[in-house]
Amino acid sequence: MKTFENVDVKSVKEAVGLLQKFAGEKKNAAVVGGGSEYLQLMKVRVATPDYIVNLKTIPGLNYIKEDAGGFRIGALTTLAELEEHKGVQEKLLFLSQAAGEAASPQIRNAGTVAGNLCQRPFCWYFRSASHVCLRKGGEICYSVAGDNRYHAIIGGGPSYIVHPSDLAPALVALDAKIKIAGPAGEKTIPLEKFFVTPQVNARRENILGPADIVTEIQVPAPKTGSKGFYYKARERQAWDHAIVSVATVVQSGSGAVRDARVVLGGVAPIPWRVPKAEEFLRGKAIDDAAAQKAAEIALDGARPMKDNVYKIDLAKNLVRQALVASV
Amino acid sequence: MAQKEFSVVGKATPRIDGFERVTGKAEYTGDVQLPGMLYARVLRSPHPHAKILSIDTSKAEKLPGVKAIVHSFNTQVTWASGGLTQKRMIFNNPVRYVGDAVAAVAATDRYIAEDALELIEVKYEKLPYVLDAAAALKSDAPKIYPKGNLSVGDGRVTAPIREQWGDVEKGFKEADKVFEDTYISKHVNNAQMERRVSVAKWDGAKLTVYASTQGISNARGDIAKALDLPLSRVRVVCKYMGAGFGNKNQAQDYDMMTAVLAKTAGQPVKLEFTREDDFIGMHGRWASEQHYKVGVKKDGTITAVELNAITNMGAYRKQSGDLTGCDFYNIPNYKKVVSPTHTNTVVAANYRAPAYPQSVFGFASMLDQIAFDLGVNPYDMFLKNRVRVSKGKSQFTSNEMEACIVEGAKKIGWQEKWHPAGASKGAKLHGIGMALGGYPFRLGLGAATIRLNPDATAHVIVGVVDIGTGAKSTMAIIAAEALGIPLDQIQLASGDTDVTPYSIGESSSRTTSFTGTAVIAAAEDVRKQIFAVAARELEAKPEELDLKNGIVFLKSNPGQKMPLVKAIRKVESEIIGRATTNPTWPEGFDGKCFAAHFCEVEVDRFTGQVRLTRYVAAHDSGTIINRLTATSQVKGGVVQGIGMAFTEELLIDRPTATPINPNYRDAKVPTHLEVPEIEVLFVDASDPYGPFGGKPVGEPPITASVGTIANAIFNATGKRFKELPITPDKILRAIQV
Repeated sequence: MKTFENVDVKSVKEAVGLLQKFAGEKKNAAVVGGGSEYLQLMKVRVATPDYIVNLKTIPGLNYIKEDAGGFRIGALTTLAELEEHKGVQEKLLFLSQAAGEAASPQIRNAGTVAGNLCQRPFCWYFRSASHVCLRKGGEICYSVAGDNRYHAIIGGGPSYIVHPSDLAPALVALDAKIKIAGPAGEKTIPLEKFFVTPQVNARRENILGPADIVTEIQVPAPKTGSKGFYYKARERQAWDHAIVSVATVVQSGSGAVRDARVVLGGVAPIPWRVPKAEEFLRGKAIDDAAAQKAAEIALDGARPMKDNVYKIDLAKNLVRQALVASV
Repeated sequence: MAQKEFSVVGKATPRIDGFERVTGKAEYTGDVQLPGMLYARVLRSPHPHAKILSIDTSKAEKLPGVKAIVHSFNTQVTWASGGLTQKRMIFNNPVRYVGDAVAAVAATDRYIAEDALELIEVKYEKLPYVLDAAAALKSDAPKIYPKGNLSVGDGRVTAPIREQWGDVEKGFKEADKVFEDTYISKHVNNAQMERRVSVAKWDGAKLTVYASTQGISNARGDIAKALDLPLSRVRVVCKYMGAGFGNKNQAQDYDMMTAVLAKTAGQPVKLEFTREDDFIGMHGRWASEQHYKVGVKKDGTITAVELNAITNMGAYRKQSGDLTGCDFYNIPNYKKVVSPTHTNTVVAANYRAPAYPQSVFGFASMLDQIAFDLGVNPYDMFLKNRVRVSKGKSQFTSNEMEACIVEGAKKIGWQEKWHPAGASKGAKLHGIGMALGGYPFRLGLGAATIRLNPDATAHVIVGVVDIGTGAKSTMAIIAAEALGIPLDQIQLASGDTDVTPYSIGESSSRTTSFTGTAVIAAAEDVRKQIFAVAARELEAKPEELDLKNGIVFLKSNPGQKMPLVKAIRKVESEIIGRATTNPTWPEGFDGKCFAAHFCEVEVDRFTGQVRLTRYVAAHDSGTIINRLTATSQVKGGVVQGIGMAFTEELLIDRPTATPINPNYRDAKVPTHLEVPEIEVLFVDASDPYGPFGGKPVGEPPITASVGTIANAIFNATGKRFKELPITPDKILRAIQV
């Protein structure tokens, strides 16, 4: 780990101001909530910040508030707190489960909701200091010629990372919004618009600028008759990212689908929503055949690499299972 | 052989140092802090094969806090245990794999040391390289050594490794059917909890190394030889050790680097490996490609086995590279040719039962498949072909393999649960599998001293390092039993070469049989001296006396007795008993412990994920000295097998020749969630040559586990997986919903 200076901040405003100052001075600065993810990058010297702006010392950013409109989740809420929240468990059990699928109990006790959404990729080339890849300012994505068993099958190029978050697909499927504080003030945008594909920017996973901070996640109250699922396929039952995951929310009424969300994790550089599959489901009664057809549509256009062809079948199977379970 | 009545041996005894270990009070090597101590880090080669033209340390030296930098141009120190067939240095030129050590830096803190590594400028001339073992054996492959890439022999190891008995051609002629197939295993890291660490300090001309080693005596010998010091001027200490599973035997390069850095800097130095260093800087288990030809009768009886294999030893040959999974079967005609091969990859050497689990996977899969093809129940196949004669000629000192198979199968309910492979239907496919394993049981050099104190307590002084197996407790239990005093009266002094006698090293399942035998002999020496004194008091002959539970008494009349403490008071001070033992068994005998493992799995047809639902491990380890730690040993070995079967593989990126998953996260070492309740069964057994009838239990548990799991997956899916690890993607591709 490279020596760095830690700055505890007391307010969002102070944090934004500091980040602006460091950016102006061309200093390498990073914000840290739980720190469980960023520390890993620092230990292998992929991240070598001069300054760490510690958000954990900001009071009042750790909360889950519930009202008629839904839930508001403070950025510093830990994954464990989200997982164990009674209201969330009651109304949005699958969101609690998605939080519980992340990492390990120890990491969930430290890792924050905002941190989970802002994770850097867990691509082994990105996490290797000796591979100066596209995402770190290099020329190539090493996965193309290398071992790409865990890489993107859809939405990739020129970088083929997959977004590692378990929460993101579930929150996108719930039409969640994200609140961001920055030099120009605060803004709230749909979470879906928060993530950026490598075609837009191969070095970033989201729209955050150097002095922007996530402050809150807003989850609308579930609609009547809606049911959500989060399924995660993995090689190890703890401390393992999704090979493929799927989050579905299906709102049914009078024996047919009124509205649906299908979002895949582990297959694309961003949480991968598939509107065509959602469109197909609308107005249909879901049976195994319909679920299978929706799964086919969801993976339409997937372009696997040499080692990750299996992800297509796996993703289809998960979508099919989630949809069948939704009715 | 019936078990004797014991007072301490055979019970479930908590570790004597368990409290210190679980409360964080135990001082491991990493906890050693010395005044003025520096911290060291290692620079490693980014190239798989390159000549180092120059190393410029001027910028690094200018970094405030940097105290010493060593590398191949200023330090020529031999790493004896680093290469059996080549003279390997602690810094080599050329470097032969990505991860080969290039330099080490000592600085006032860890971060400065790391920063300094980045400032060292190394000029390399890249050389051609080869990563695949099969490709390395081709005539046009880049040569890693002048004689080529097939490792050469040196007396201790051979190349290729050949073994044969009977006549395989005759055996194949006698067969009703002959089967051939190839099985592949991968390089997996030992992944022990404690990373490598060494602390060195010089007091004038005397060197003390606080090591993390599986053998202080050999570590001392290695360090003394490497640095040209007399043995009296080297002290190696290891009081608590956080495991190694074979990759911390003796002294390794980092011990010597630390000593040289401390000498250069004139200050104590602690050198710590990062987890990445640990995965690439030492060694893991050798990968293998095993080609079998097996002749069988219609009923499954083996007539001949021929094994041709290549093992990938990486850039240096530290160990044999052998494959020994056929050891557990009765094979009348056998021929084996194994070619240990060099590649420009991370070194492969000892990892718990080095030549077994990968090889048992191959051969037990082969037999399981043959059973399927012949329509024979695998249980009958394994039972029928279990080993009775060692290597076609020797008698075993004891052999309860049959009991392991019969009792283990009964426990898991084999006859009720087994179904033909692929017969299970539904979303979750049920499977059941088994395989046989074990490990050599040997006798050898051991030494122990026992000091009986004036208050009838005792110190047992042995060179043993408790590498996590509970060896300290085992030695104390053996001493308590042999002396005839309560266990809580025993203190253990161990792990310090200035104080303790020789120990062969805590590896290869030797501690209990080698040093344990010496502890018994040292106890007998103490008893002889006590009985000589007590005989006068009790008006009896010394040979008529016995000592149990701290009371000396007349065997023929236990009422005629005296407390041990009274007998000792008749002596001037304390009683010292000592022994060096090196027992043997008669010509024509061979020793082995045996195991039969069984498991059930559930395969998810939609995801290819496998859940282990039940695991039964039946072992013949002779008399069990401590049921608690012996059971833990079995469980730990099975868990390592679970990792090897399902997820673990050190991946070398082809285009860059670089390991890409050298850490716990990406290597996917199993967690508790991967592990079912493991039911451990020790069959009633006792070996005539083992201490109190005991045989090893450390190495055997991992041997059968990988093959057992692979066979259960076959039973569930009807698909044979011939390459490890058996990951969900492979299963999914094979079974397709």
